[in-house]
Amino acid sequence: MATQAIRPVRKLDERHLARQRWARAGWVYGAMLALAVFFIGPFYVAFLGSLKDNPLEWPFRYSFAQTQPKNWAAAWRLGQLGAGNPWTGGFAPGAEIPFQISYFLEEGQEPEPPTVTVPTRRAGAGLGAIFDEVQAAQYAQVSEVQEVNRRPAVVGGRPGQIVTYAFTIRYPKGDATANQPTVPRLPLDVEAPRGQQYYAATLDPNRLERRGRVASWDSVTPGFFGYVFRNYVRVFNEARDPNTGASFFLRWTANSFFVSLAVVLTTLLFASLGGYALARMYLPGKNYLFAFIVFSMTVPSQATFISNYLVLRDLGLLGSLWGMIVWSAVGAGAVFIMKQFFESIPREIEEAALMDGATPVTTFFRIILPMAAPALGALTILTFQGMWNEFFKAAVVLSGQQASYTLPLGLSFFRSAYGVAGDWGLMLASAFLSMIPIIILFVVFQRYFVEGVSTSALKG
Amino acid sequence: MLRSQRTEALYALLFLAPFLIHLGIFFVFAFVRTVGFSFTDATLIGQSSRFVGFSNFVELFREPRFLAALTHSISFMLVVTTLQTFLALALAAVLNQRLRGITFFRTVYYIPSVLSSAAVTVIAIWFFQKTGFLNTFIGYIGSVAPVLLAFGGLFALAQAVQVGWERWRGVPVPWLDPALATISLVVALALTWGLVGLGVVRPLEARPPEFTWLTNPDRFLGIPIPLWSIVILNTFTTIPTLMLIFLAGLQDIPKSLYEAASIDGATPLQQFFSVTVPMLRPVTFLVITLSLIGTLQMFDQVALMGDAAPLDSIIVLAYYVYNNVFSGEGQVGLASAAALILAGLTFAIVLLQRALGVSEKAH
Repeated sequence: MATQAIRPVRKLDERHLARQRWARAGWVYGAMLALAVFFIGPFYVAFLGSLKDNPLEWPFRYSFAQTQPKNWAAAWRLGQLGAGNPWTGGFAPGAEIPFQISYFLEEGQEPEPPTVTVPTRRAGAGLGAIFDEVQAAQYAQVSEVQEVNRRPAVVGGRPGQIVTYAFTIRYPKGDATANQPTVPRLPLDVEAPRGQQYYAATLDPNRLERRGRVASWDSVTPGFFGYVFRNYVRVFNEARDPNTGASFFLRWTANSFFVSLAVVLTTLLFASLGGYALARMYLPGKNYLFAFIVFSMTVPSQATFISNYLVLRDLGLLGSLWGMIVWSAVGAGAVFIMKQFFESIPREIEEAALMDGATPVTTFFRIILPMAAPALGALTILTFQGMWNEFFKAAVVLSGQQASYTLPLGLSFFRSAYGVAGDWGLMLASAFLSMIPIIILFVVFQRYFVEGVSTSALKG
Repeated sequence: MLRSQRTEALYALLFLAPFLIHLGIFFVFAFVRTVGFSFTDATLIGQSSRFVGFSNFVELFREPRFLAALTHSISFMLVVTTLQTFLALALAAVLNQRLRGITFFRTVYYIPSVLSSAAVTVIAIWFFQKTGFLNTFIGYIGSVAPVLLAFGGLFALAQAVQVGWERWRGVPVPWLDPALATISLVVALALTWGLVGLGVVRPLEARPPEFTWLTNPDRFLGIPIPLWSIVILNTFTTIPTLMLIFLAGLQDIPKSLYEAASIDGATPLQQFFSVTVPMLRPVTFLVITLSLIGTLQMFDQVALMGDAAPLDSIIVLAYYVYNNVFSGEGQVGLASAAALILAGLTFAIVLLQRALGVSEKAH
């Protein structure tokens, strides 16, 4: 368990040595933890950033509105009050939302109720702004603001008082014939007169402006996801195809799955066929062919993509997922891996089958392929991961056809569409969403990833 | 016999057919065509093209952007390969332990390498913003530097006192005795906490960051700062892969060598340099080659940076080729010539490695 101190230390007694061993193990574990923080830490802080309203805020906070259980509970409850939907919220006819907000006033200031408005606010920047959304402002009615509580307090060393106001937002239910939609969001602006400073509210606001006088919410009925994972929900809701209105991100995810799975299938079939022929069958000049395949792996794809682009253009496959599949159908690396595998299994079995008069084709599909299951498993994982992350080929084949983007190209598109507006919440959220399948695959099949890299590299 | 061989060869060709057709169209034909294009003035939209000899290559070496891309690519390759190889080897040496839970840690360290370059680059761009996490973190370390220094000094002092005491008593403990270091750690933590509490040592005030990574026009060691950001990013994401290759190599070194060395009285550091490093030489060669080729052909990070950084400060050969084909009227001829230079550089590295590798085996 602990590392062995083989070094002969003459005068240290056994007890001292044992103490040294334990302490060394402790330091090694400490070092490993520190390294784990180094490799995972950046993703953790970026994930925190993806939950924030302003991921670029300075100073960086590790605890903020979205990480506080008080707000989780409030967002859940308000979502239920708004549209009976505790997860993603909304604002439905008949809703009645009580809300409270408190301000701090320095001594000598006379409290004055704030102005409450339900503003007309478009969803986000970039693509989201194209669509006309039903606005809650058309249907919401805000009750009179009433003072409910007043208590003395010291905030930031200054004596004063905290005043709490309450109001209700209603969505009056019309008669049965009235056309009353459920509105996705209920934005809110509360502006206090000069001298009053925001202190607390039923739900913490998304933004505070003018030294805490103006508090604004993207939705006061957000539901749990709508508040904590606001940017993640926006990834699906806001970025939509201007022509069809379909969510881009869902489309890209489906595209990525389609391309990756199709390429896994073609690679498994063609690479195992080719690898088997190279490993076992008689073919004059086989070694030269193999050397050429190895050589082809070192040539950068930039040296071949121009012609491939033109070929796919002539085939009418540009901007189509099929173009990517055809281009990636089988790679030299995959054939290489399968050849190495087939060379490592004993010859006797297939020879027995061939003696019985079976053709190579039958032998291959009946006997060889089932034996190759472990190698095929590893190849599946590696190919899927490779295609899921493939950026260069997607950039060449799919450019300009947003509806047929795969996720990496989609992320690049988001970066240029939202980067100008600095909408980092949405960009970070989409990056994390695009990782989920690979992370699941990695957690389940980590053995293949970790061993695949080291063994295949060393054999080559 | 001959007839059966001929049948088998036919079957082999049949089995290889899909792969060979694919290789023929998407590699052989494509490569030959690139060579052909490089001697013409072909464009992506233009129908006709004419033979222009070597003028594309001549023009490339007159174009400032290409020269920038070439210098960037080569310096990027050298810097990143050096960093990656040393860091990956150091990490692998630390990780090469028989400890419970070591596989868990290896899995965790590998995560940055399996994620897509697109997602990681988007996160990295956020990291490198002016008020992004990197600057925040550097600023934080800067502001708590007095505390860290006090802690380091106290730790060294506590350790020195303890080791001195033990040696005075006649116990030959090494300077970095782990058991004593644990005590020094606790002592130093307690004393630092006390000093901070008393206000003797206090952190400096954190100031808003001013350093920009991605839009900085300055250079460091001749490499633009934005390209350094990509150096950091690429090193971070590739270390785990190389580390795993080193680990597999480390585990192949026979334990008896270390035992022999330790009987001869070699310290762990001496063992590392006279056993580990020479035994790992073939693996190191492989890692360096992989890293050189990978960094020379780096494309994704630059393309994904897009307008987050000025193009001329991050452009590399691979992106230069792509950019020339897909911007403006698409200078296919010029881009092909640049692509051939990139391929030629890669090939030179592989040949160099082969030549060195062979002589290595001969010894």
